[in-house]
Amino acid sequence: MIVIGEKINGSIPAVADAIARRDTAFIQQRAIAQANGGATFIDCCASVPESEEVETLHWMIDCIQAVTDLPIAVDSPSPDVILQSYGFCRRPGLFNSVSGEGEKMDKLFPVLAREKDWQVIALLSDNTGIPKNAADRLRVFDKIMAKAAEYDVAPQRIHIDPLVEMLCTSEDGIETNVEVISTIRKRYPTIHITAAVSNISFNLPVRKIVNLGFTVLAMNAGLDSAILDPTDRDMMGVIYATEALLGLDGYCMDYIGAYRKGIFGPIKKQA
Amino acid sequence: MSKIEELAFAVENGKSKLVPELVQGALDEGCAPIDILNQGMVDAMAVVGDKFKRNEIFVPEMLVAAKAMKKGVAVLKPYLAGESSARIGKMAMGTVAGDLHDIGKNLVIMMIESTGYEVVDLGIDVPVERFLEAASDPEISVIGVSALLTTTMPAMRETVAALNQHPRRSQFTIMVGGAPITQAFADEIGADIYTEDAASASQAAKALAMAS
Repeated sequence: MIVIGEKINGSIPAVADAIARRDTAFIQQRAIAQANGGATFIDCCASVPESEEVETLHWMIDCIQAVTDLPIAVDSPSPDVILQSYGFCRRPGLFNSVSGEGEKMDKLFPVLAREKDWQVIALLSDNTGIPKNAADRLRVFDKIMAKAAEYDVAPQRIHIDPLVEMLCTSEDGIETNVEVISTIRKRYPTIHITAAVSNISFNLPVRKIVNLGFTVLAMNAGLDSAILDPTDRDMMGVIYATEALLGLDGYCMDYIGAYRKGIFGPIKKQA
Repeated sequence: MSKIEELAFAVENGKSKLVPELVQGALDEGCAPIDILNQGMVDAMAVVGDKFKRNEIFVPEMLVAAKAMKKGVAVLKPYLAGESSARIGKMAMGTVAGDLHDIGKNLVIMMIESTGYEVVDLGIDVPVERFLEAASDPEISVIGVSALLTTTMPAMRETVAALNQHPRRSQFTIMVGGAPITQAFADEIGADIYTEDAASASQAAKALAMAS
């Protein structure tokens, strides 16, 4: 499972404060905690006005890179900001994100064609917003894949985000997500399918439990990447357990290995 | 690190892909096949068994280590032919009549094989007659009887009772095990050795071979 650590995001109030006062230690502590928690990528989102965004991302990326070698997901709603910022990264990471919306694909895919080690998150939304049903989201998906093919961006470099909406107002649970995920997984066995997991539990009590349940069911449908909190030890443990249950982890070796590394399970006291 | 040490490390860590290459590498370097077997694999499995008994590793880790060794032994076998010292004993093992469990039995077999025994797998749901037949093999020195259900413990009792009447009885040891089996039950039905897990079983079997 690819885990994109979500904890360095300016839309989180504590992070916004740290960004405002340029608190290097705060950002770095979150980067280290996520790396130790088992993250594959560290997401980095400034969530400041676009005029300050590149400079802010530059500072944030430098903070993160000083304490971990993990690749960074450069996260901005603006493709221009992503293009002006990804060069701050010392190693290839993830563009977060493109979608069927506006000129995002036309701006980012030509660069992905050149930067062969970079990957991209692609959201299944377009100018109309988030399509209501699975068929419409799959239409956006087809558009994205056509563009990817045009620029020779292989499916294994793409993380499709089917867009998770809050469960509490959904009429069909995660039926739409499951349909989108399983259809895409069938058609593109090597593509990555990701999700911003915590969206599912907005406005519900004990969100963590809803997040766990969602992750298991989405993985069963074909999710192999997720944007979440890697310091949530129960979540990480459930992810490893689910991979083993799905037959993706022979003899549970990854599960046992992660347990041994202290990714989940009781916290061992240092001798 | 010598090739044999590398091999021991790979076996311990269940590196099935690496082990055959390392066995071949050790052979190419001129290591004696018997040293490759004993120092590179049997000793490594003894370490694995100890770690398991100390709760430092889990069952699947023991299983992949045993599987890795098996791959190595397959490469080594042609070179061991004629070296009688490679085999420390011959055992027959099965799950009793009415009992279809084989995972635990297979793990015990793999662990015992890893000590240098040749193990004849009698399978599952094995009738008493099959055990008796196996016991007639003049090379057999250990019979393993496994039962995983409380409802098949009586079948174990019958099997052990029949084996105790066998004309070769003085020449083989009866080992029993399985989730519901206890030392007290083993004593009551007249078995020689009870062990609680695969690692202990392999250590007990090895000790028997060393003592004989």
